[in-house]
Amino acid sequence: MKKVIKLTVNGMEKELLVDVHSTLLDVLREDLGLKGTKKGCNQGECGACTVLIDGNPVPSCSLLAVKADGKDVLTIEGVAEAGKLHAIQEVFNEKGAIQCGFCTPGMILVTKKLLDDNPNPDEQEIKEAIAGNICRCTGYAQIIEAIMALAGRKQVR
Amino acid sequence: MRLNEFDYYDPATLEEAVELLNQKANGAIIAGGSDLLVALKQKLQTPNYLLSLDKIPSLKKVKFTENKLTLGSMVTLDDIIKSSLIQEKLPALKQAAWEVASPLLRYQATIGGNLCLNTRCRFYNQTSFWRSTRGPCFKTGGKSCHVTGTEERCYAAFCADIPPVLIAYGARINLAGMQGARTISLADFYNGEGRFPNVIAAGSGEILTGIEIPFPQTGVKSVYRKFRLRDSIDYPLVGAAVALKLDAQNKIEMITLSCTGTASGPVNIKSINEVLRGAVLKPEAIWDAAAAAAVELHPLKTSLVSPRYKRDISRVVIAEAIATAGGVTL
Amino acid sequence: MAAYNIVGKGVPRVDGPDKASGKAIYTVDVSLPGMLYGKILRSPYAHARIISIDTSMAEKLPGVKGIVTGRDLRDVRYAFVDTPHYPADEQPLAVDKVRYIGDEVAAVAAESEAVAEKALALIKVEYEIIPAVFSAIEAMRDDAPLVHDEQLEGTSAWEEWGVTKRKNITASSYAANNVSGRTFVQYGDVDAGFEEADHIREDTFELKATAHCPMEPHAVVASYDAVQDKLHVWLSTMGIFLKRFFLSKTLNIPASKIRVHHTYVGGAFGGKIDLFPYEFCAAYLTIKTGQPVKIELDREEVFMTTRQRHPMNITVRTGIKKDGIITAQDIKVIADNGAYRGSGPVVIFLCHGFSFPVYNVPNYRYEGFSVYTNNPIRGPQRGHGAPQIRFSIDSHIDLIARDLGMDPLEIMLKNARKQGDVIPNGDVLNSCGLTECIKGAAAAIDWKNKRRQFQASPASTGRFRRGVGISICSMFSGAMYYPFASAAIIKMHDDGSATLFTGAQDIGQGSYTTLSQVLAEELGIGMEDVHVVAGDTELCPIDLGSFLSGTALVTGSAVKLAAADAKRQIMESAAELLGVDNIGELDAFNKKVFQRQSPDNYVTYQQAIQASVLRKGGNPIIGTGSYKGYEKTDRYPSLSKGKGLFTGAYGFAAQTAEVEVDTWTGKVKLLRACTFHDCGYPLNETIVRGQIHGCSSMGQGQALSEEIYLEEGQLFNASFLEYRLPISTDTPELVDGIVISQEPSGPFGAKEVGEGSVAGMLAAVANAVHDAVGVRIKSMPITPEKVLRALNNPT
Repeated sequence: MKKVIKLTVNGMEKELLVDVHSTLLDVLREDLGLKGTKKGCNQGECGACTVLIDGNPVPSCSLLAVKADGKDVLTIEGVAEAGKLHAIQEVFNEKGAIQCGFCTPGMILVTKKLLDDNPNPDEQEIKEAIAGNICRCTGYAQIIEAIMALAGRKQVR
Repeated sequence: MRLNEFDYYDPATLEEAVELLNQKANGAIIAGGSDLLVALKQKLQTPNYLLSLDKIPSLKKVKFTENKLTLGSMVTLDDIIKSSLIQEKLPALKQAAWEVASPLLRYQATIGGNLCLNTRCRFYNQTSFWRSTRGPCFKTGGKSCHVTGTEERCYAAFCADIPPVLIAYGARINLAGMQGARTISLADFYNGEGRFPNVIAAGSGEILTGIEIPFPQTGVKSVYRKFRLRDSIDYPLVGAAVALKLDAQNKIEMITLSCTGTASGPVNIKSINEVLRGAVLKPEAIWDAAAAAAVELHPLKTSLVSPRYKRDISRVVIAEAIATAGGVTL
Repeated sequence: MAAYNIVGKGVPRVDGPDKASGKAIYTVDVSLPGMLYGKILRSPYAHARIISIDTSMAEKLPGVKGIVTGRDLRDVRYAFVDTPHYPADEQPLAVDKVRYIGDEVAAVAAESEAVAEKALALIKVEYEIIPAVFSAIEAMRDDAPLVHDEQLEGTSAWEEWGVTKRKNITASSYAANNVSGRTFVQYGDVDAGFEEADHIREDTFELKATAHCPMEPHAVVASYDAVQDKLHVWLSTMGIFLKRFFLSKTLNIPASKIRVHHTYVGGAFGGKIDLFPYEFCAAYLTIKTGQPVKIELDREEVFMTTRQRHPMNITVRTGIKKDGIITAQDIKVIADNGAYRGSGPVVIFLCHGFSFPVYNVPNYRYEGFSVYTNNPIRGPQRGHGAPQIRFSIDSHIDLIARDLGMDPLEIMLKNARKQGDVIPNGDVLNSCGLTECIKGAAAAIDWKNKRRQFQASPASTGRFRRGVGISICSMFSGAMYYPFASAAIIKMHDDGSATLFTGAQDIGQGSYTTLSQVLAEELGIGMEDVHVVAGDTELCPIDLGSFLSGTALVTGSAVKLAAADAKRQIMESAAELLGVDNIGELDAFNKKVFQRQSPDNYVTYQQAIQASVLRKGGNPIIGTGSYKGYEKTDRYPSLSKGKGLFTGAYGFAAQTAEVEVDTWTGKVKLLRACTFHDCGYPLNETIVRGQIHGCSSMGQGQALSEEIYLEEGQLFNASFLEYRLPISTDTPELVDGIVISQEPSGPFGAKEVGEGSVAGMLAAVANAVHDAVGVRIKSMPITPEKVLRALNNPT
């Protein structure tokens, strides 16, 4: 069964004919070619496929594309503006928050949501906000440092 | 780990939804879908169609009246966490919602989905390839339960966080079916069957439309305490919800306790009221009551920790929940 | 120490912008026109004979383009360890029997994943289930079922590299009692050493298998170009040349007919070295069908079939003088390598290799066995043997310290090896900051004040109790394994900037950045002037690959030599322009060559390069350099005897942990972890810190929560829900100290940092738990259940 859905993806309106059993992740990656959204576990446990839907982070592997009909979707490709990296992207790289890069798109989008809601989160709030995004490389310390820097806070040692 | 093909319907009215569900065979209701999609990928369920409740506006309503809160079944956990009125009137509900899964899933997951969460087991929540090694367990259509080895019933464990809290609050739920609407107590929604743990899963042909949660009387304290190995992502090994009221002499006037994670449904420990009513809350009394309550939980090896450990932990979790609600330091 | 302009600085990663913006292409992101999708049919049984395989139904399914089974590949064998003594025992698809749950039986290529999945269901395999064995100790018994009873020849894939064939190899000689490998090493007089001791203690430890968990699942795309007779592959790997070698041997096509293309690698941790059946099958099926084939493993397959860390039983016996000087040590290791040999003989060798560089033990005996079972296959994983052996030895040292009423720190400091030591195989510790590491890590955790052992009343009745522990470790910096060396090519552009061609893979550890820094520093250009072309077997020179922690030292040295070569050529050209006879009078910096005595007399690199093109036969200036895995030896050391030289440099680390134990639930919270790592010299401080954090975190997980849960060979927790990696809320306060020891053979003094400090976390945590609550957990991981049980049943 197929269905026509409308999505606004990174500010662009898309009308798509999708299989009703496609996840949003499949549609973003395969139909729209937005490969920046990563499939880590395909069961909503690792957060690598996180996108913002109407501003809220959601693992796109756990959402049917038809359920995103009419919504606004922001993927990692839409975070940089006019070819210039967003401050989150810059600071992640400066602080060593990126290693293999596979969790990075999800981590950056969750950070964006966190800082959009609360420009000055403390360390505990940061840890809680990224608690659904698994990173095997960094041990999280430099990711937390990067978000602290973005929040204008010094890490309490 | 791909999804099988299925049809998809998202009717705009409840009536249409109920009719569809009862006319077309082998459907599954999808709310947020975060749990259902995993089950579908693992081929634990192979429905012909999904019935989405997304487009029915009435199911997303949050209504406060003088003495109760009515939540549509499609209200998200994030909505619950963000509500200051819920924080004020029903703090244990907020606490339980906040501890479900990981932050990413709570934007999508709904209260109705959490109440209808399927039971879980180390033999059941596996891929179809994995399950082919041992053949079907009772829950997947086999002859007997892999946990006990012989019995013709399912012992999968109920692991939802919110139901014990709502049961402790005395919540009632609204169901819509071909025979019309009915309201039952949430406690009666669950049947303790691992295989089909609630009346909808057992085939009543109904849709959960709303939850009515009476505000506790003045002075009632409620607490949800969850024990899990990590502070996010994990299901509870044990969860305990307590609502209690102390009288002017600091004696227990009433107490309810409901637990999750150990049996095939929420376990309501009715004896706790008899054990503790009239007692002054002191650590020793709490530990004794918790130990007695933990005996009623009967965990089996449905997860990767031993039943013995679950029992040990249950005692601690229950004691903590009671002590916190009663303002006592253990 | 010289002051550097670019190395040593925490410059941002060169691959960071691609990764931050979603532009980085990983193997799963590769898509080719006409691409087919492959799926693997796997055995649901741990041990069974294959009676028959019927693919006829699947072949008829519309959309199915190719099917391969073991019948088609009867003679194809390969293995990570492939020597005449240990002949290759793996086949891409099972032929006569399956040996573990997940063993590959058939592969299908079809027009869509859905069709491929349907086709798998249509392949009928008839099995005869036979008795299986699931523990190494049981497998070694005389009456245990044999996992491998086939006859193999004593051949080796390395014959063209000088390895000689061996005749008369039989199953009974290479796998008697399921033993797949044995290492035996002895030096000094062990019996005399124990006699000399004032105190002797023996302890046995157990470790469970753990998973690598790279966030990127394994994948391959293979595309055969019949016109050019060339096989193109994209795969997620740590070593492109090693994969090409294996593919060439198994497909029986020349290496030069295979091109591995670059993709980013989403984490590896040792789990992306071996050739995997799905990679072979994709290559086989693209040749068979003429269409590109992609195979992407799902997370369960990654957990089950892409190798795990070896579970082990380790017994350590130590003799020690009253003053804490070790006189003798006897170590026994039994490693379960699962259904195929994997890296079994390597890991039992490495347990020795990571044991003896740490303490100076004059009389020492080590015996290790790797053993076949019907469990999943085990292979290299970050630290490869180090976590197991360091956990065992340093838990044991902590217990000895308690016996003697000593501070374990004192025992460590008294016995720790020092710079200049020649260790028994002949390796020289030209750089060794182990003592500084121990002192640094102890100070960072406030050892004297926090160690309960020293407190007047160590017992406490509170619910939450804290304690501290320490462990130390060591790791190689590269060793001899195919292709034995790394080379680098630097192509100068006529604007004075440079492109580096390297076969090294950036698996997340930051090698593109650190290699760029080495290049920029040596050549006297800026980071913005360096471009990297990497990970492509056609464009890039050979590289050892990003494992055995050799990239910084081995590939880094090759890059430094190549940069020096390019610089020399630029200077020679500049010398002519400047009218200087001796280039020794010149210096180069900031893309300028100038006379040291009169810096105003200079030419730019651009001018020098252009002059070289015009006056030196068109030479555009290409610098080359190469460096061997271990300069001092041509040979891989003997795995079974531990003889020969092992590595050019050892990295060292000391790690301390402070934990808080919840005595009601048994839950252990890691509050603080301090790692002092002697990495020689930090080429990039931010990256070095990231490696230390990553190691600590992995060590934390393996100490407290990570465990492959198996019952009868079946893996119960093949998901991130049930296999518990640390998450953000588990992050302790991480303190990292970088100890600089200036390794003479390393580029700018650098050596290993990416692996060693997984290993110390395990005993540091176990010792801290003992310090906090007085119970000793001798099996990894230290789950709440084990702690609570020990607290409730004190022995």
